[in-house]
Amino acid sequence: MSEPIIEEHVPMVEYRHVHKHYGSLHVLNDINLTVEPGEVIVVIGPSGSGKSTLIRTANRLETIDAGEILIEGLPLPEEGKQLARVRAEVGMVFQSFNLFAHKTVLDNVIMGPVSVLGVNKKEAEEEAAALLRRVGVEEQAHKVPAQLSGGQQQRVAIARSLAMHPKVMLFDEPTSALDPEMINEVLDVMVELARGGMTMVVVTHEMNFAKRVSNRVLFMADGQIIEEGTPEQFFDNPQTDRARDFLESIKTH
Amino acid sequence: MGIEELLGQYGDMYGTALLTTWWMTIVSYAGAMALALVLTIMRVCPIRPLRMFADFFVQVFRNIPGISLLIITVYALPKLDVIFPYDICVIVTTILIASAFGSENFMSGINTISVGQIEAARSLGLTFGQMLRQVVIPQALRSVVLPMTNLLIAVMLTTAIASQVPMKPPELTGLVSYINTRSTGGITTFLISALCYVGTAVFIGYVGNKLDKKVRILR
Repeated sequence: MSEPIIEEHVPMVEYRHVHKHYGSLHVLNDINLTVEPGEVIVVIGPSGSGKSTLIRTANRLETIDAGEILIEGLPLPEEGKQLARVRAEVGMVFQSFNLFAHKTVLDNVIMGPVSVLGVNKKEAEEEAAALLRRVGVEEQAHKVPAQLSGGQQQRVAIARSLAMHPKVMLFDEPTSALDPEMINEVLDVMVELARGGMTMVVVTHEMNFAKRVSNRVLFMADGQIIEEGTPEQFFDNPQTDRARDFLESIKTH
Repeated sequence: MGIEELLGQYGDMYGTALLTTWWMTIVSYAGAMALALVLTIMRVCPIRPLRMFADFFVQVFRNIPGISLLIITVYALPKLDVIFPYDICVIVTTILIASAFGSENFMSGINTISVGQIEAARSLGLTFGQMLRQVVIPQALRSVVLPMTNLLIAVMLTTAIASQVPMKPPELTGLVSYINTRSTGGITTFLISALCYVGTAVFIGYVGNKLDKKVRILR
């Protein structure tokens, strides 16, 4: 009998004893987290609990004070070209969209591939057009961001991120700045991404999204992950009082 | 002397003076814009000594009267064996001062760009230089058209310091002194130069407004 081939297992993202302070506020307190390839993780928690900071440290938009963050088994570089290279592989979608205001939608999407990946402009435009079609805003390709609704802008931001072929995507409250009728158009795109196998870490309070596609829900409070489980376990049977209180508070409205 | 007599006798000189003012303005402004851009990039770059130097530069030249600086370039620099022709002295002086103000304009233009866009650029993996070239500078330029239009007018008026040195041929203000030491033109001599300045400024303002409407970024 031959030895079974042991595939070396490398998590997509790994946090090891990560700490961060803002002055006296301990905003990340001993975070340990492993995100497997293809996993969809939802981070939930009261405001100020450190959830945004948590995902912003994954591409070093925020630095950390102690501990280690690994992307595909390699420590996150501190600066320079290596950091830029890792950032190119880690997609980020922001609460306030952050599209480049002076560029058309199409130019927003091709900027990364052309400048960072060195794709030629024509190819980049073809792929961008396909991505814009996929997120349902192909007709807005030649407008500037301010001419689009919030939901459309966020879908463009997702397309811009996808154009880099990221290995993992981080979403920082992607629907919190949207009018209610636009939330679903963005969530639908995210659901489709999740079902397509994208590794995602999503800070959101959208329970339906969490229930439909997430593998795990993390509940954060005071800079710590105080509870985690499948969406069913977490939403139907939270273990801690903090989580129960929090879920009550967001259910009431 | 009436206007007709003045123009009859000195009309050609007014024409030359206007052209002199124009070319000094254009050269000074081009130089000032280039220097202002370099200073501004230094002021936002990650290297601290460069930031400190550029901040210091701006503070110094924003706060020196043009005429004092001109006296330094004309009378002090030769002691260091640096001798420029008078017109170059005026242009250098104007560039130094206008670049400080221009850099302040650029900085306010940069401040109109949200931190979020910078973070988005960093998230895509753009280097600092790419981020400057593609995100920061184009937006900063497009949002400072009106203040930079004002600066162009200010540069034109600053070139009047040339009247304090014996430049040949004189520019608009220098010409006033030239004429009034030879004839009795009085206030009319000023009036003609003033009309030239005002006419140019109105034109600059008109073009600036048009340009601003065209490139202004929708937010």
